[in-house]
Amino acid sequence: MIHRFFFLLYLLSFSLNAQNNAIAAGEKLTFTATYNMSGILTDIAEVTMETNSVKTAKATLLRLKCTAATYSKWDNFFKIRDLYESYVSPTTLTPYLYKRDINEGNYYKFMKYTFSHKNNTVKSQLKKKNDYEENKDIAINSGTIDIVTALYKVRLFDYKNMPVGTSKSLTVIFDRAEFKGQITYLGKETISTAIGNKTCYKIAIGSSETDVLKGKNSNFLWLTADKNKIPVYGKFKIPVGNGELKITSATGLKH
Amino acid sequence: MKNILTILAIIASVLAVILAVLPLSNLAIIPSIIALVCGLIAFYLSKKTGEVKKIIQFTFLLTIIALAITTYKSLYNTNEVTNTETLENKEIKSEEEAIEELNELDIDDIEIEDINIEE
Repeated sequence: MIHRFFFLLYLLSFSLNAQNNAIAAGEKLTFTATYNMSGILTDIAEVTMETNSVKTAKATLLRLKCTAATYSKWDNFFKIRDLYESYVSPTTLTPYLYKRDINEGNYYKFMKYTFSHKNNTVKSQLKKKNDYEENKDIAINSGTIDIVTALYKVRLFDYKNMPVGTSKSLTVIFDRAEFKGQITYLGKETISTAIGNKTCYKIAIGSSETDVLKGKNSNFLWLTADKNKIPVYGKFKIPVGNGELKITSATGLKH
Repeated sequence: MKNILTILAIIASVLAVILAVLPLSNLAIIPSIIALVCGLIAFYLSKKTGEVKKIIQFTFLLTIIALAITTYKSLYNTNEVTNTETLENKEIKSEEEAIEELNELDIDDIEIEDINIEE
């Protein structure tokens, strides 16, 4: 389920270079990932999305960090401790370094991308258990971004002036391959969340990889219809039942 | 018919107990309802013929146990994330390593201005 959630995030990218007017350093969003079967909800994991500024010798970057950790009741059965990071330009959210460190049960995988936007290449490093390491250079299209950046970049889009039904195609790099996805703006909806009733922009997420996400309109994301455009609710299809992502707290918002 | 319902009730009640003790305890409600319905019909049919098998009453007992565990867990168990020290340490270490790597990147690649970010 966690994989699916993050895969949804891969698809949420735009090739446009929108200016960041929604995301500030110090923002922390906490979610509960839930499995929903016939209306019976089971909480699985806590997902957090955090930002902080990182000063390097040459610039100040924005660190986008996502973590997923199963609740303690699951730890004896299937323990997940995932860390996803992206170091991006604070103005355009252009990624420079991406890291994915996943610990799921006995499975471990580390992936690192170093972006070279000048050459349109990504230097990747893959690590697995037993000191397995693989380095590979990948050619990418201009504007290709990683999944964490995609999740944040979707918030920069101007939904306010976007006609309902507008679709945008997107390019995201995941597992050293580029994917084209599509998002569709479905209009405004008011939903009840743990941080109050929120008027939201509802977007549908689809993929050119039909096997991965089941159908075009099976996966939805709700972003608050304010200047912060934070994701408050997500719904995605899994083979039996639905996966849901519900916000539990939001701090350090820009507006 | 009666036998089929009895078997269904047994299977569903056992499944309900198994689910109830697992973290997926909320899902135990579904087999519990199935066990109750099948058990009640089997009980009614058995009563009509004059002999009520003990196994049907046993399925009721199992279902009640499953529902009691599920209710207790949903009322008193809170969701919390523990054992995050390793993850937290990894986050700190990862940031330190990332800064070193970003320092080594060609300056031409980082075509951004050094701006102040709101904290």
